[in-house]
Amino acid sequence: MFGLLDTALECAGALGDADVEVYGERSTSRRVKVYGGEVEQLTAARRTGLGVRVVRGGAAGYAYTSELSPEGVDVVVRRAFEHAAVGDPDEFVALPEPGGVPADVDPYDARVEGVSDDARVELALAVEAAARAADPRVKTVEDTIYADGEGEVFLASTTGVRGSYRASQCYGFAYVLAEEKGQVETGISFTVGRALPDLDPEACGAEAAARACRLLGARKCPSMKATVVLDPFVAASVIGVLSSALTADAVQKGRSLFAGREGQAVAAAAFSLTDDGRHPDGLDSAPFDGEGTPSRRTPLVAGGVLQGFLYDTYTARKAGRASTGNGLRGSYQALPGVHPTNLLVEGAATPVDEIVTGIERGVLVTDAVGVHSGANPVSGEFSVGISGVLIESGRLTTPVREVTLAGDLLGMLRGVVATGDDARWVPGGSILTPSLVIEGMAIGGT
Amino acid sequence: MGVNDFDLGLAAAALERALAHGGEFAEVFVEERDGLTLRLEDRRLEQTSGGRDFGAAVRLLDGERTFYAYSDEVDEAGLTAAADAVAAALRGGGSVAAPVVHLGSAQSRPGAHPVVVPPETVDVRRKADLLRAADDEARAAGGEIAQVIAAYADARQRVLIANSLGEVVRDDRTRTRVSVQCVARRGEVIQTGHETLGGSCGFELLGQPAVLGVAREAAGKALVMLGSKPAPVGLMPVVLANGFGGTLFHEACGHGLEADAVAKDASIYAGRLGEAVAAPLVDAYDDGAVVNGWGSAAYDDEGVPTQKTQVIAGGRLTGYLYDRLRARQVGAQPTGNGRRQSFRHVPIPRMTTTYIAPGDATPEAIIAATPRGFYAKSLAGGQVEPASGNFVFGVAEGYLIEDGRITTPLRGATLVGNGIDILMKIDMIASDYEVKSGICGKDGQGVPVGTGQATLRIAEMTVGGTG
Repeated sequence: MFGLLDTALECAGALGDADVEVYGERSTSRRVKVYGGEVEQLTAARRTGLGVRVVRGGAAGYAYTSELSPEGVDVVVRRAFEHAAVGDPDEFVALPEPGGVPADVDPYDARVEGVSDDARVELALAVEAAARAADPRVKTVEDTIYADGEGEVFLASTTGVRGSYRASQCYGFAYVLAEEKGQVETGISFTVGRALPDLDPEACGAEAAARACRLLGARKCPSMKATVVLDPFVAASVIGVLSSALTADAVQKGRSLFAGREGQAVAAAAFSLTDDGRHPDGLDSAPFDGEGTPSRRTPLVAGGVLQGFLYDTYTARKAGRASTGNGLRGSYQALPGVHPTNLLVEGAATPVDEIVTGIERGVLVTDAVGVHSGANPVSGEFSVGISGVLIESGRLTTPVREVTLAGDLLGMLRGVVATGDDARWVPGGSILTPSLVIEGMAIGGT
Repeated sequence: MGVNDFDLGLAAAALERALAHGGEFAEVFVEERDGLTLRLEDRRLEQTSGGRDFGAAVRLLDGERTFYAYSDEVDEAGLTAAADAVAAALRGGGSVAAPVVHLGSAQSRPGAHPVVVPPETVDVRRKADLLRAADDEARAAGGEIAQVIAAYADARQRVLIANSLGEVVRDDRTRTRVSVQCVARRGEVIQTGHETLGGSCGFELLGQPAVLGVAREAAGKALVMLGSKPAPVGLMPVVLANGFGGTLFHEACGHGLEADAVAKDASIYAGRLGEAVAAPLVDAYDDGAVVNGWGSAAYDDEGVPTQKTQVIAGGRLTGYLYDRLRARQVGAQPTGNGRRQSFRHVPIPRMTTTYIAPGDATPEAIIAATPRGFYAKSLAGGQVEPASGNFVFGVAEGYLIEDGRITTPLRGATLVGNGIDILMKIDMIASDYEVKSGICGKDGQGVPVGTGQATLRIAEMTVGGTG
């Protein structure tokens, strides 16, 4: 692949004076879906592509292709030059210089290669069987998936960046429907790792079933101000929304509610949040980011106090500081942008039972719908639909659904009074978080 | 190399190889996609990105099982590897007589969605200037506009679909879209407004006046919401405005009509054909053939011609949205709803342009008939669980209705409910039908969809706010 990157850099050299960066990617993946004890779908994929970023006269242009023939490479380089000619120049636009030693983390597990399709199917079937066996009220396991993939990325630039690494990932997933007296409720669970032997299919299936069944009989509850316990799944989706406001990109463009608050208390002392691109267990860990900057650990909130933001090369230059290694790319089709790597919510581990016992009136929230549409990371306002279980006099009582949880993100962070002892990785953003206990939240019901 | 140079002999050979160990249906999907996106933010055209994807997928159906393989290598080696991968996955099928696939002549419907000005013939600079004009227009709407994000996208997608029935379909799709998001600020209060315009058509859609109109709409929404008060909490009548209000039907009902959810009995609409699922005044459709519609195409991604399908007639459920797989399972006809994001995705039942048909009231009469309620002018988006029918929407622009008049803007509101329950409570529908364009996500695939609706009233619904 480096040969192809060098060909692209040579093509670029012939087109004029510019800084050029070429990103290459190749990967293979497999995905198995089972239903009713049978294979429903099996997908085998191969993916290769190249992305070219050109910086010329302070303006950047980007182009990508999946055609890796000499003509394909020539066309993609030319298009990147054309696109650079359209952009508005900006003194801070530049390709990074080599940023030092790549982080010491290996996101690749060679065991991913030895997995057969039979083993993949078997794992998915084990998840499904565990879900069905967990409770007689399980009506159907609508989706059961096992997927894995391995790939390699390559980066080379005229400014001297050159590197590559391999990575692997796999996950199991279940989406369960439970039914009782005509009412249907749903539950999900995941199991994630770098290779199949890391996964726990039984726990995944059983948890998805339990999450669906505990909501059976749910109904609206009265509107109230109450303490809520966001379980790790729900906490992770809130953290996901919050994290977009913690990028320097959002701050510099006036889209962050955290702008200008570095060093200030933005959350209760019980709350700390860190971005860690080199966490040994993090699925989004890598030696360097999409621009070649080594990954690192960046505290965002410590003891409730805002520590800083996430930067890529552009936003770092604009702020007169160094990139934090958060210039990430979704694929060869995407320009690097400022995104979190692995996010870790850290705090004192209070047993969840103890937390519930201490709540006079509240809701254990196990599902939130509309977090991405109902939460505004710019204004901080949010209003989402939730399901969960009422907490009355220190005990979990009736399940609830079709109620809303509303407030503003800062108010919510300031209301965090405790964190649970149940921290776990939640995929879809790679977030390690325990349950969050928050006081004074508005529940909208009857 | 592109779809037009693709040798159909390769497709026939791949179909035969795919069926080597059995299976009932095989298909080759070849896709060539050239796209361009521009993004302006902070007064600067900061991203100009474009690219090309060319790839092929082989799909094999056997009973209820699907085997799928794809690759960016659209040559004999790539297609052979993909075909062999799906054939190998079908084990236990044993050896079967070598199938022979005879491909017919290619079908196409040129002109089904006319493109007057192909976007690739328009200089990128003109597209950039359009965004700069939108930026100026939005900022001119008021000094409190603090930020404008304007984006432009066009794409030409050429597909070739060949299957073991001998059918060959070619479709050449062009889509063009602009979107503008404004951020307005007054002291500590920050509000946003968003508007889009898109279609299955060329650059002719985006004349300067139309794009400036999009910018003014987005700015206006953000500005009006600066003066908003926190939305109240509780049950009340809700009037949904035309256009974006159609997201309600898309979420609350449409997903439950997609035949994959129905087949797994994971939809509240499963097994209820002919039953009342909405108030008697409700007629609803999915129409993938709307000329130049953002959610339209001549054929779906399985080569089935798109069509207009009535899903609710007089409040009764009349049909579901099928792809080939689910239609075969129940002996129904496919409805042209088998869609995929790209060759990297398995086709599944998806909506196209989904809408509640207009009625004959006026929006003014509906507001006047509502002593106290919530007016949702623009929805931010929503989600639904088809199994339970529970849904939630964020409201981007909402107002209080008092004494039959629209009064205070309200922020932070969410509408929460259950599909059939809400459709049953529709009691007035106006005639001001309008369609909006969006991207719908399902199973990790985003496809362009239209959502349409006239202004309508839901007699009672839960509004969740902070006030």
